[in-house]
Amino acid sequence: MRYSILLALLLSVSSLFGADKASNATAIEQTNAELAAVKAAATQAREEATLATIQATKAKEDSKRAIDELAQVKAQREEELASMAAQEQVLKENRSIHISVVGQGVAPMNTSSPAQAYALAKRAAIADAYRAIAEKVKGVRIDGQDTVKNMMMQKSTIRTYVQAMVKNANVVETTFKEGLCEVEMEIVISHSDFAQ
Amino acid sequence: MRSRDGNRNFSLRLCSIIIFSSLTLTASEHLISYKYIVKDATLYNETLLISNAMTKCNGTPQNELILLNKNSKNLKQLIFENSEEFIDYMHKLGLHVEHKETTSNLQNSSTTTLTLKTTCFKVDFNDNFARIAPLK
Repeated sequence: MRYSILLALLLSVSSLFGADKASNATAIEQTNAELAAVKAAATQAREEATLATIQATKAKEDSKRAIDELAQVKAQREEELASMAAQEQVLKENRSIHISVVGQGVAPMNTSSPAQAYALAKRAAIADAYRAIAEKVKGVRIDGQDTVKNMMMQKSTIRTYVQAMVKNANVVETTFKEGLCEVEMEIVISHSDFAQ
Repeated sequence: MRSRDGNRNFSLRLCSIIIFSSLTLTASEHLISYKYIVKDATLYNETLLISNAMTKCNGTPQNELILLNKNSKNLKQLIFENSEEFIDYMHKLGLHVEHKETTSNLQNSSTTTLTLKTTCFKVDFNDNFARIAPLK
């Protein structure tokens, strides 16, 4: 009887130890699984970080390339402007500029002879040539005005105005064809003409 | 008693003084203005005004023009006989250019005015030619 009780006691104690061992094993498994999950998350985060750094370097390279391209475009534009400035005629000291223009004029309808028509058309063409010279040398004032009513263009007006004093202009060639007279005029402008 | 050479010099001087004084006495001053208007590429109006100067003009003659003269003392007549030459000369003297152009609803109209502002000219009349020069 005693032995049976002792045996029962031993069995129960052993069963108790066995249960503890099982619970310990599950806890270890759980912690292992958590550890593995954390490790996986860490590796993922690391991968993401490396991806982000790669992307950042790529973006940096792109921006650098864009800056370089912009600088190149700027340099090209500056070169173009410099070449344009070199081509543009600028009146320098002890230099002169030769300007050539063509003026057009029409004879009036009520002329008494072809000679009169020619003379009057030539006069008009000379005035046009003078205007062209004045435009080139001194410039044009332009004024524009548009009127819009109920989203519709009502009136559009452009006014131009030229005023100048033209001296020593010469007629180079005159042609008269079908009532239209064309006069080629030239003027040589030197720096001393403008020196005060 | 004067030598022959001395008399000759004297007579030459006298003649030159007489010629010079006759030339200066025939010189007169005139006021001339010129204007022409071109509208839509057609000559619209041309005006050449000539009058005797009522008061003495200041300045020295420059860029003279020599016109053929048939013993005339009338500047208007002389200029109308040589109008083309005189107008070319005025172009060379310099004209004021004023141009106005308006484009309204795609219809264009323009007016160009060329003007020689009233200028005093010294005119020397001779038998076969006349000298015209502006005083500046």
